[in-house]
Amino acid sequence: MHEIALHNVTFSYGSQIVLEEINFTAYAGEFVCLLGPSGCGKSTLLRLLAGLGQPTSGRLTLDGSPITGPGLDRGVVFQDYSLFPWMTTGQNVILALNQAFPGKSKAEQAETAQAYLEMVGLSDVFDKLPGALSGGMRQRAAIARAFAINSPVLLMDEPFGALDAITRARLQDLLLQLWQHNSRERKTVFFVTHDVEEAILLANRVVVMGLNPGSVRGVFEVDIPRPRQRQDLYSDPAFTRLRDQLIRELNADVLQELDGGRTVQSAGEAI
Amino acid sequence: MEAVLSAGARVERASIARRLILSPASVVFVLLLAELFWPVPGEAYPAYLLALTAAVELVYLVRLSLVRRDKGVAAAGDVAAIIFGILLAWHLCTTRFVLVDKMLFPKPEPVLRLFVSELPDMLKGLVNSLILLVSGYLIALGTAIPLGLLVGWRVRVFKAVHPFTKVLGPIPPIVYIPYAIALLPSFRAASIFVIFIGAFWPVFINTVNGVFNIHKGLLDSARVLSLSERTLLFRVILPGAMPSICTGATLGLVFALVLLTAAELIGANSGIGWYVKNFADFADYQRVVVGIIFISIVVTVITWGTERLERRLLRWRN
Repeated sequence: MHEIALHNVTFSYGSQIVLEEINFTAYAGEFVCLLGPSGCGKSTLLRLLAGLGQPTSGRLTLDGSPITGPGLDRGVVFQDYSLFPWMTTGQNVILALNQAFPGKSKAEQAETAQAYLEMVGLSDVFDKLPGALSGGMRQRAAIARAFAINSPVLLMDEPFGALDAITRARLQDLLLQLWQHNSRERKTVFFVTHDVEEAILLANRVVVMGLNPGSVRGVFEVDIPRPRQRQDLYSDPAFTRLRDQLIRELNADVLQELDGGRTVQSAGEAI
Repeated sequence: MEAVLSAGARVERASIARRLILSPASVVFVLLLAELFWPVPGEAYPAYLLALTAAVELVYLVRLSLVRRDKGVAAAGDVAAIIFGILLAWHLCTTRFVLVDKMLFPKPEPVLRLFVSELPDMLKGLVNSLILLVSGYLIALGTAIPLGLLVGWRVRVFKAVHPFTKVLGPIPPIVYIPYAIALLPSFRAASIFVIFIGAFWPVFINTVNGVFNIHKGLLDSARVLSLSERTLLFRVILPGAMPSICTGATLGLVFALVLLTAAELIGANSGIGWYVKNFADFADYQRVVVGIIFISIVVTVITWGTERLERRLLRWRN
């Protein structure tokens, strides 16, 4: 059981309401994508889940107990700055392993770190500094670190947002492969994105968030069987139908604001 | 295959030779040699000056053969050219023609001869100076870096301390010298204190700024890993602030050197700053110039060493 539940979660900066009355439950082993325009508070929501902030009101729980701060039961991958640039890639993974499994010897830690780096396709970067890696390789290493601590929950904040299309596709496949690999102990994943197709490819359910204030506009089940093949996906009528539905939902409040003659700006953008 | 290689090597050698002959360093070198070998009436051949010129040229040629990149070659050549140029101008202005005041601007040849004979004494003085410098500077690093990390990391401490650093930081440390000499039991203690104060502020202020400037994303990454306070401090905060700490440490070293010399000018009875001051009092400008040259060599060596250390500490930035 690694169920994450949000009850009436509201978050505000002063008088600016960023998130309003969010209610949602992610079931154990579920892959959830948070989809929304930039500034809708989806990253803020992920930070609350990571324990990097506290909601103004409402509750977030992991397996029924409230989330009060960061913890190793949740692995986090950010869009950038996940790895410490002054440590080698191997040391970065070992640092996390030391936190999660402090009892193990140094040699064991190094071996495990190397194994996880190989798992994400990085066999010869152990002694390289993150600055010497490409953006895609850095994200691979960050994913390796998140998987190495073996947390039941994985939180990802637009992890592929800064990558080129090809690298991004490869990493989406890698992530799905790692997630599906262990079917009995599947991780509960929260994945923040603004890319509709990425959300459909990855998720069991897509939570669409809207602007002003950030709130849940709808939750959509992705009824496409796994493994999902990227090349078949685009011709799948279920895919195109869902994609159109999500895009319409995303555009709804933008259109509404344009009708009202107001500037389209979100609360999050002002921060 | 071999023939092709050796042909390539020949071409390369030829191009190096051409670059060497046409370089400013070589042109000034030849001019300097001509000037030195052309006898000046009433003067012996400048043996020390010739030896120095030969030594600089040798170092330049060795560098030229070791450094492969064009940029390094050009830089080494320019430095050599400037040294030759200074020696040439010095010799022309004081020995060939007497264009400047004889007493204030001694001739290069006797200065060099004196430099060699004074070297043992100056090295002894240097040891005394370095004891002061290293003690004061290390105490400054040892207190400013931990305090800076603490103040930068704990917002409340920062808010409490900030008004005081704003007032105390900009006070020129030289104003403490007379008071420190009056207050502290020995000249040595007073100098160490003044060097410490001078080096402390730049290191402290830069350490605090270094902690502030660590990217927020990296701190978030550290927090989600639930690092212990100790690990966070030594493996994230300290290395994250290191670029700024190095800037502060370099500045602090410059301050320390300035204050060392200033303190010695006022109250010492040995040391490199004292040496210059003492012989200036006796109007012995040959020894004053010798002292200045010696100090500049010492400072160059120290700066070179700290730059290498800094590059090592900040390897991850490149």
